[in-house]
Amino acid sequence: MDLDKLRKTAAEVVSRDDVKYLIGWRPGSYGYRVAPGFVEEASAAETLIFSPLCTINLATYLTLTEKLPLPRGSAPDQRKVALMVKGCDSRAVLQLLVEKGIRRDQVLLIGCPCPGVVDTALLSLKYPETESPADLKWNGDHFLLRQDGQETAIPRLSVLAEKCRLCRYPNPVISDITLGEPVEAQLTAEDSAVAEVEAMELGARAAYWEEWFSRCLRCYACRNSCPLCYCRDCVLDRLNPTWVNRAVNFSENTAFHVARAFHLVGRCIECGECERVCPANIPLGRLNRKLAREVREQYGHEPGIDPDGKPFQAGFKPDDPEEFIL
Amino acid sequence: MTDHSNPYLPYIATVDDTWLETVGDRCVRSFKVTLDDNSARESWSHQPGQCAMVGLLGVGESMFCISCSPTEGKFLRFSVMRAGKVTQALHQLEAGDKLTVRGPYGNSFPMEEWKGKKILTIGGGIGQAPLRPIVEYVKANISDYAGLTMIYGARTSNDLCFKGEFEEMSRCDDLSCHLTIDVEEEGWQHNVGFVPQRLLDLNPSPENTIAITCGPPIMIRFVLENLKKLGFADEQIYTTLENRMKCGFGKCGRCNAGHLYVCKDGPVFTYAVLKNVPEAFA
Amino acid sequence: MSAMLLNKQKWTEFTGILSGKKVLAPVACGDRFRYAVPAEGKAFSLDFDRPLVPPKSAVFPQTETLYRFQLGKTELAAPQPGEELILLGVRPCDARAIKLVEKLFRWDVDDPYYLRRRELTTVVGLACLEPGLNCFCPSLGGGPASTEGLDLLMVDLGDSYYLEPLTDKGRSLMDLASGLLEEAGEEGLQKKEEAVRRAEEKIRRTVDTDGVPEILPDLWEHPLWQKTAAGCLGCGTCTYLCPTCHCFDIQDEIEGFEARRCRMWDSCMFEEYTLHTSGHNPRPTRRERTRNRINHKYSYFVRKFNVIACVGCGRCVNYCPVNIDLIETLREVKEAQ
Ligand SMILES: Cc1cc2nc3c(=O)[nH]c(=O)nc-3n(C[C@H](O)[C@H](O)[C@H](O)COP(=O)(O)OP(=O)(O)OC[C@H]3O[C@@H](n4cnc5c(N)ncnc54)[C@H](O)[C@@H]3O)c2cc1C
Ligand code: SF4
Ligand code: SF4
Ligand code: SF4
Ligand code: SF4
Ligand code: SF4
Ligand code: FES
Repeated sequence: MDLDKLRKTAAEVVSRDDVKYLIGWRPGSYGYRVAPGFVEEASAAETLIFSPLCTINLATYLTLTEKLPLPRGSAPDQRKVALMVKGCDSRAVLQLLVEKGIRRDQVLLIGCPCPGVVDTALLSLKYPETESPADLKWNGDHFLLRQDGQETAIPRLSVLAEKCRLCRYPNPVISDITLGEPVEAQLTAEDSAVAEVEAMELGARAAYWEEWFSRCLRCYACRNSCPLCYCRDCVLDRLNPTWVNRAVNFSENTAFHVARAFHLVGRCIECGECERVCPANIPLGRLNRKLAREVREQYGHEPGIDPDGKPFQAGFKPDDPEEFIL
Repeated sequence: MTDHSNPYLPYIATVDDTWLETVGDRCVRSFKVTLDDNSARESWSHQPGQCAMVGLLGVGESMFCISCSPTEGKFLRFSVMRAGKVTQALHQLEAGDKLTVRGPYGNSFPMEEWKGKKILTIGGGIGQAPLRPIVEYVKANISDYAGLTMIYGARTSNDLCFKGEFEEMSRCDDLSCHLTIDVEEEGWQHNVGFVPQRLLDLNPSPENTIAITCGPPIMIRFVLENLKKLGFADEQIYTTLENRMKCGFGKCGRCNAGHLYVCKDGPVFTYAVLKNVPEAFA
Repeated sequence: MSAMLLNKQKWTEFTGILSGKKVLAPVACGDRFRYAVPAEGKAFSLDFDRPLVPPKSAVFPQTETLYRFQLGKTELAAPQPGEELILLGVRPCDARAIKLVEKLFRWDVDDPYYLRRRELTTVVGLACLEPGLNCFCPSLGGGPASTEGLDLLMVDLGDSYYLEPLTDKGRSLMDLASGLLEEAGEEGLQKKEEAVRRAEEKIRRTVDTDGVPEILPDLWEHPLWQKTAAGCLGCGTCTYLCPTCHCFDIQDEIEGFEARRCRMWDSCMFEEYTLHTSGHNPRPTRRERTRNRINHKYSYFVRKFNVIACVGCGRCVNYCPVNIDLIETLREVKEAQ
């Protein structure tokens, strides 16, 4: 990715009268970290990057930003938020549009065709992170890591994020400005992680999830980082009636995870944020991808692809094969 | 016997009487409550301004100010606006039903220190609940104070709490009671207008006076402004804060306004203190 | 008893001596460690990385029953005092945190749940000879071998552990194992000090906390809060994983006819934390919540207890999913002065 072009484009975009600010990626405070960059001035566009470390799905911020009551007499700020999106991120935006969670004229999308990002946890396990800033570049079937004046070639597949190995839409499905050339979608790899769980006997599968769900802290990082968990009044926070108790134990945690997984059926666009942010390392991707695949295979529905599509859970097909009924 | 070295363990109490103060969606219901345990009832003591954690077993606990003065007797009174989970359940209670009560919590209005002064209460809506104990306390010790003026307003006459109690106040020379409602109503014989404006119109002198205000945040803001206009010093103005609370005794961390724990350092504060706490009127 | 050495070959025997007691030790879960009862009969080691959830959870469980009752009845049953507990492999920062939080739980009104568990717990620390990337304990008055809050400090000397008793609890634990221990002597002490010195040199990140508690109130409206909070997800990660965070909620929960009133960790980073039923929220955005978190640790707590409620364990920095880095924020606070 040509960083100069990215920064120039970003500077132009934030200078526009109809743009409030731009959300992109900037180097984090140390090591492999990357942070969301909120750019309001053209000069600040200089801090932006796009690299294999840019895992964060910035689409989440479109619905996360609080809307405070306006001071009497003032008009709402109708300007757009400019957003940098990878392939998966763009699907989140598209799904939000389909669900009418946001309006098309509220966003300006800068699409970044994406050759795949790293699993930062895996990367730091294999190549221990240090406090000095690191730079990672795409280079064919390798990533080039530059840190402390040294350059290391890292085999791409050894640290590639799981979701990227399975990615069917590396190019933004919707954008206003596209940076760089489209990348070739790779052959769809088999989802071996989901297959592994599917292959388990029922008892073993239950034990597997019990083990993981018991470790959940209910910090809700997964929910809050999810671009499609944006209900203003989430069932999990409800006290009256209480759907899920606040007590943290296997049974309540399971109620939480099942509720969340079902609320994302036909909506999860497989960006992998929930799993990435989970401090307890719970393989949430396996759960959500399993359901996504069922929806794809049983109903032929894929969220975040078709701008004219209908939300899956709001749809009804008279010719539904009804091959499985719970 | 419950172990009362454990501050989380509540007393069991019985509803002696309950009645609606106001009607509507967010109606207010008052409860007269006595603690079941004899020795607890005897040893319980609270001061105007203090609160208690009232709970329903299986539903939850919520903080309420004790809306009666200790001078009224060995019982407690709460006036509860119907809002969420706990308050909706409380509104279902009838005489004889059981509650949990723990407290009293927080500081109180310095009734001793105020002796010899004129007391001016300025309340709005359910905000009269913490002010009522002051009124009752002063009524019971009227010779200790240089008089009481009460300004109380609500949206409509239906939203005024403690309506039955104002009549007798107008019969006493040292007490004056000024009611107001936001909009004109048929049969209403008192003032129409907002509380802050009523305050200005009455033009009370700050001389040897303590003003206590409680009500919706927006009302408080304008009342404070007007009290300043009338020449009240920050130290003469009191209010109570209402932050979300869980424990009531400085542990759960939730009630803080800046560095203050409202449950311990408050809920009663002078404006002199609060004006330096940036979160206080958030 | 003075400092002693435990030869690592006797480690299994040592853990055998503890087997009659309830022990919590760091146990691997995938690539993260947590404090758990080691599997029965299985050997466990003290070869671990910094555990994800701090051992505050042993004295301040994420969910704790305050009392139980039956629906429709009014008898309240507070739980019986628990059993004695040995916490093994506690990082010095986390031990300090337990001690700091105790100040609050002792302040004004005793919190019987916390204090009882604290009394029943023997905290055995292990010096960090390989501090993590984001460890900055020395900046907060701790260190990789700080002893505050510990009953017993262990230092890994390669082929043996150096055991330094710090309290009566620590001494009686060592008494139990006295047959396995040998006098550390001058040589042991020197080796230990050398190891600790090297560990201290490995600390990479620092903050200058000098004056921060005094500066913070003046920065109330400073743009740095908006800037810091812009990317915040408002999750519970930084507070749940923080060894000094101690906020909780109280809820009633029902299972059949059995019910309990319990408390559970809560976080000032959640929107609901301060939300009123009316919809009014005194801290309406992540800006105010972020400001509260930093102010609580670095200013409010200091005003009350004269010590910063952060021990520099680095967890909030490590695990924040969007790289909101406390060390950076503190630097900005200093610069904004
Ligand atoms: C010191 C103090 C005195 C109070 N005095 C009275 C009173 O005399 N009469 C009265 O009607 N109400 C009073 N309140 C408000 C009352 O506590 C809330 O209305 C009540 O907790 C709502 O609980 P709920 O379960 O019905 O609502 P839910 O929305 O189901 O409860 C959620 C939680 O939100 C919190 N909460 C919600 N609203 C408020 C609020 N306005 N203030 C503080 N915390 C809130 C509580 O912690 C409650 O447990 C007082 C609050 C405080 C802090
Ligand atoms: S992020 Fe992980 S630990 Fe946190 S609530 Fe989600 S699954 Fe649980
Ligand atoms: S962990 Fe990070 S994103 Fe989550 S609440 Fe804390 S600062 Fe915000
Ligand atoms: S604030 Fe962060 S560094 Fe400090 S004790 Fe808490 S988690 Fe550790
Ligand atoms: S107020 Fe926030 S920072 Fe302070 S202890 Fe509570 S959760 Fe932690
Ligand atoms: S901060 Fe790091 S080095 Fe210091 S005691 Fe804790 S874990 Fe060890
Ligand atoms: S209500 Fe718990 S600390 Fe104030």
